[in-house]
Amino acid sequence: MKQGALFLIAAALLAALPALDSPFVLSMALTCLMYAGLAVSWSMFSGPTGYLSLASSAFFGLGAYCTAWGLSYLPWPVVVMAGGLAATLFAFLIGLVVLRLRGAYFAVITYGLGELVKHTITHVEKTYAGTVGRVMTDTPSSNVVYWTVLIIALLAVVTYVRFGRSRYGHALRGIGMDEERAATLGVNPMRVKLLGFCLSAWFAGALGAAMAVRWTYIDPHTVFNPFIVFQTVLISMVGGPLTIGGPLVGALVFSLLSEFLRLSLPYLYMILLGVLLIVSVLYLPNGIAGHDWRGTWQKIFKRSKAADAVTEQRHE
Amino acid sequence: MNFYLFIDLVVASLVTGGIYAVVALGLNLQYGLMRIMNIAHGEFLMLGAYLTYTLVKVTGMSPLWFIPPMMVALFLLGLLLHRLIFRRLAATSPNAEVMEARSLIVGFGLMFIAQNAAQLIWGGGMSGQPYLDEAVKFGEVTVAANRLLVLAVAAAASLALVLLLKKTLLGKAVRGMLQAPLGAMLVGIDTRKLHPACFGLGLALAGLAGGLLSMVYELTPSMGEPYTISALIVITLGGLGNIPGAIAGAVLLGLVETFGTYYTSPSLKILISYSVLVLVLLLRPKGLFTK
Repeated sequence: MKQGALFLIAAALLAALPALDSPFVLSMALTCLMYAGLAVSWSMFSGPTGYLSLASSAFFGLGAYCTAWGLSYLPWPVVVMAGGLAATLFAFLIGLVVLRLRGAYFAVITYGLGELVKHTITHVEKTYAGTVGRVMTDTPSSNVVYWTVLIIALLAVVTYVRFGRSRYGHALRGIGMDEERAATLGVNPMRVKLLGFCLSAWFAGALGAAMAVRWTYIDPHTVFNPFIVFQTVLISMVGGPLTIGGPLVGALVFSLLSEFLRLSLPYLYMILLGVLLIVSVLYLPNGIAGHDWRGTWQKIFKRSKAADAVTEQRHE
Repeated sequence: MNFYLFIDLVVASLVTGGIYAVVALGLNLQYGLMRIMNIAHGEFLMLGAYLTYTLVKVTGMSPLWFIPPMMVALFLLGLLLHRLIFRRLAATSPNAEVMEARSLIVGFGLMFIAQNAAQLIWGGGMSGQPYLDEAVKFGEVTVAANRLLVLAVAAAASLALVLLLKKTLLGKAVRGMLQAPLGAMLVGIDTRKLHPACFGLGLALAGLAGGLLSMVYELTPSMGEPYTISALIVITLGGLGNIPGAIAGAVLLGLVETFGTYYTSPSLKILISYSVLVLVLLLRPKGLFTK
């Protein structure tokens, strides 16, 4: 109940943000919400199952291209919905086969398929449209884009919580712990995984569709940029993929960090990201939000006392 | 098809395949032995290329002189990385799948660090240091001398590794670890020494490939990425931990890419490689040469 109230207050405050009339704040909040939505949608599937999906860039890019192709013909909400559905359809088709693979193979094939889609779209656009990129016309105002992204991100959070508590969420966690055992206990792993994968894809696709109009010109290399999925995975992993707070805190920290460092010191920023990625995998495997901070605190500051106690005992 | 053109394409395939073999053998050792999915493998190729290039530019000597010490440097870097990162990762991962996934993330981290450090140190694209750039004629077929050199060194390195694994006691130990990690430990093979050494060897091999490429191609900080993908395809084609399979896979991929791009268009090269990867992972995830 308390969390629900907190969520509503945060949502209301965020929705009122355009009233500040500051393009800088709005643009930062937009980036932050985009990564929050991507990270939450990624955690929806990859958090409980442990399947490391690198397909977010592909979902995002497909959504963006739906906007590029449909914006002139269709109303805005339909375009965004269609972007999400295109990603879901793609997730369904590839999920049927790639969800049979596990471990690094799954990660590599989802990444490979994303690159395959990128290069296919580049080739198709070059051959049939004659250009690589597309210019966006009749774009909605930046406030509308902001509210759209906000709604998708909020929806992602609600879905994450509701889905996690449903029997499918429990089944996904069961698959993550031991897929064969889950299957023995009556879970149909393929169906549940496919459902989670498609659900998470919708949000990434819809975010891509909504964000596409931010760039007046898009090409496959911007919207299928592998950096999008790296940053998403990083945010979820550093924040903690098994908690809802983790991806949200992670998104806030990284958006601020990237806003201030990426433009002034782009290479250093990327090096810092790399170091953070390695350190978080090594020392915070459950993320900032999932880490046992009290345990660490006790380890550092109470170890001396414990050691003293042991020596005393020995002397006795 | 014109016979000479055919020979040209075969030679080009072999040169590409030779480089792929050297890169993939290192990755295969790392993945097969330690479940390290080193997505930054190509970055060490890039480092090898830049180091060789810089040394050649400073001293004006032949790049061949600098390849051995550069490989030693990368080997030591491999030992250091293993000690700092992968040892802890292996100790804290509950199973092989978690190890693979986490090493993949670490690999992306290393990739960010290496590419952007190279960008800071050397700047963007650089024309390579063409070495032995003259053409050699065999009857009607002309081949650039440096490509032949690349092919010869790559083939020699692959052969040397195969012999090392087949003929020496050390190689026997490594093959033992590939076949049965636990069994190898039980019969007294010291994995704590051999794992870092094999990881370092992987880096040294990637560096060798980079040093060779610096004689032929332009250098960019992201030049390693396509080779990582190719190496992944090759070890998937050849089968996990299968050394002869990886060499066959490398030549096969070289042929598919060269002939594929010749018949379609060079811009489709990446598309062809990824299609091969996806197809093999879906149809024969254990490799083409398994029974």
